Amino acid sequence: MNPSPAQSPAPAGAAEGWQAEVDELRRRRAMAERLGGPEAVQRHHGAGRLTIRERIAGLVDAGSFREVGKLTGQGRYDEAGRLLEVVPAPYVMGLASLDGRPVAVGGEDFTVRGGTSWSGDRKKGGQGGFVEDMAFQYRIPLINLIDGAGGSVTSIQRRGHAVFPGVHGFERSVALLGTVPVVSAVMGTAAGGPAGRAILSHWSVMVRGTSQVFAAGPPVVQRSLGQRIDKEDLGGARLAVDAAGTVDNAAADEAECFGMIRRFLGYLPQNVWELPPSLPCDDPVDRAEEALLDIVPRDRRKPYDMRRLLRLVMDRDSLFEIQPTFGKAVITSLARIGGRVVGVIANNPMFYGGAIDVKAARKQIHFIELCDCFHIPLVFFVDVPGFMVGRDAEAAATLRVGMRSVYAALQATVPIFTVVVGKCYGMAGMATTDKNGLDFKVAWPSAEWGSLPIEGGVAAAFRREIAAAADPAAREREIEAGLKAVASPMRTAEAFGVEDIIDPRETRAHLSRFVEAAQGRLRIDAGPKPKYGVGP
Amino acid sequence: MGTYEVKAEVTGSVWKIVAAVGQEVEPGGTIVIVESMKMEIPVVAEDGGRVEAIRVEEGAPVAEGQVVAVMAG
Repeated sequence: MNPSPAQSPAPAGAAEGWQAEVDELRRRRAMAERLGGPEAVQRHHGAGRLTIRERIAGLVDAGSFREVGKLTGQGRYDEAGRLLEVVPAPYVMGLASLDGRPVAVGGEDFTVRGGTSWSGDRKKGGQGGFVEDMAFQYRIPLINLIDGAGGSVTSIQRRGHAVFPGVHGFERSVALLGTVPVVSAVMGTAAGGPAGRAILSHWSVMVRGTSQVFAAGPPVVQRSLGQRIDKEDLGGARLAVDAAGTVDNAAADEAECFGMIRRFLGYLPQNVWELPPSLPCDDPVDRAEEALLDIVPRDRRKPYDMRRLLRLVMDRDSLFEIQPTFGKAVITSLARIGGRVVGVIANNPMFYGGAIDVKAARKQIHFIELCDCFHIPLVFFVDVPGFMVGRDAEAAATLRVGMRSVYAALQATVPIFTVVVGKCYGMAGMATTDKNGLDFKVAWPSAEWGSLPIEGGVAAAFRREIAAAADPAAREREIEAGLKAVASPMRTAEAFGVEDIIDPRETRAHLSRFVEAAQGRLRIDAGPKPKYGVGP
Repeated sequence: MGTYEVKAEVTGSVWKIVAAVGQEVEPGGTIVIVESMKMEIPVVAEDGGRVEAIRVEEGAPVAEGQVVAVMAG
């Protein structure tokens, strides 16, 4: 046997074979299982958080975790070169399965030096780590369970020099976004690189109350700006999810978070060369809900519950909303119809009448890109009066970000089905149709459209005529009534300007049939989608 | 039993006050209606309860996030 510092000498009188080494292997593995030791684990539990090993166990199929790099860490030896202990590297990762499908999964171990970076010959996780490479090379989804603050100035001391930003760069993280699904779950406090990776994902989630995410934490903020702020106010879910939309969804606790990750990946293919998984559907595709007939009020000033409408049309319990608490003017949801995955984008009349503001536009852009990347056809349920108006909206660059949502829709190559249930006006309305594809739009009898709503347009377009009338107000109402009669959706259908008007109760059967027919096209188009051009 | 605030989700003007102080409201019940973007947007008490106070007046402007009522429940 060749003694080396990494191996303990074989005990005297050891039997033939490698039992001694295998015993040592077992010891080393047990040390890895201890994480940062009982006290650190207890502190971590005390903060209401699970350890990385408990997280992986809670997320993946039972018994499916096949760890990679379990022996990595900092070994300590006695003078005779016998192993005393190994402090494990603060990252645990490997191969596992979710509902029988392989995934690469990993996360920082906060109980070892707060999950800060560790320098071995090769990185296990983080930017350019083995777990990212495995997801990329095997074309399987990546799940980041993030609980770390990234770099520390102490690394300057350790290395003897300051590392240039990007030595451990995001190039692999970015390449993954065009290749396989990437999910990031912020499970603790994330700043720096780990926070960056939380964002470089197709979908991100954090835990309310026990996780925070920011570019820099409270001590840096206080030094830079003199602001005293605690980490929950700076980067808790209320700010990062609800107000800023930095992270997509929030879970009530870690267990719910794992369920959401599993749910999200259930709608996605393993990689961009495959199609999203269809499921057998026991919800009849010809189910026609009576409630759809009067869900849109005749009084167009009255809003209605768009989420209820979606539940009535899509497969039962199949809706999974992305960013439910951000950009509320639009609802973006993965869903199934007839068992096939679709991405639903629906305007929400309860929030500013469904007018697209910057937040809603950002949300819509991301969702369109997500669905386009993974060959998920889009279904628009349209009731949009246009872009949000007013000084605040202009100051927030609604026009620019709104036009970027138009750009995103026009770059998408997945089939888009458009169901106009209410208003469809202006550029925001145009962005709901498949102008580069079949441009297939059906409308409910409650639909109305144009370049702008008649009420707003009459006063401007017929200004002189109205001013010259004996009773200007009456003349304005008269012109409005006349235009409205001509603006009936049935007349546009006569001109084949909209492909059909349907009974709202037929929506499910109708959509299901066309989504089914589009599957062949989706198969042909499967693969990576390069994007060219400059978005506004 | 505690109190909680009901906030307007949208900027606009108070179109109608629907619930009265002291009234018991079902979860999701409408407290006031705000007119915004030519729509009548209900502002609801998510968890229901008894109306402790109404903090707005009909016709008055209301801002996104402004407290319109306080509920006990």
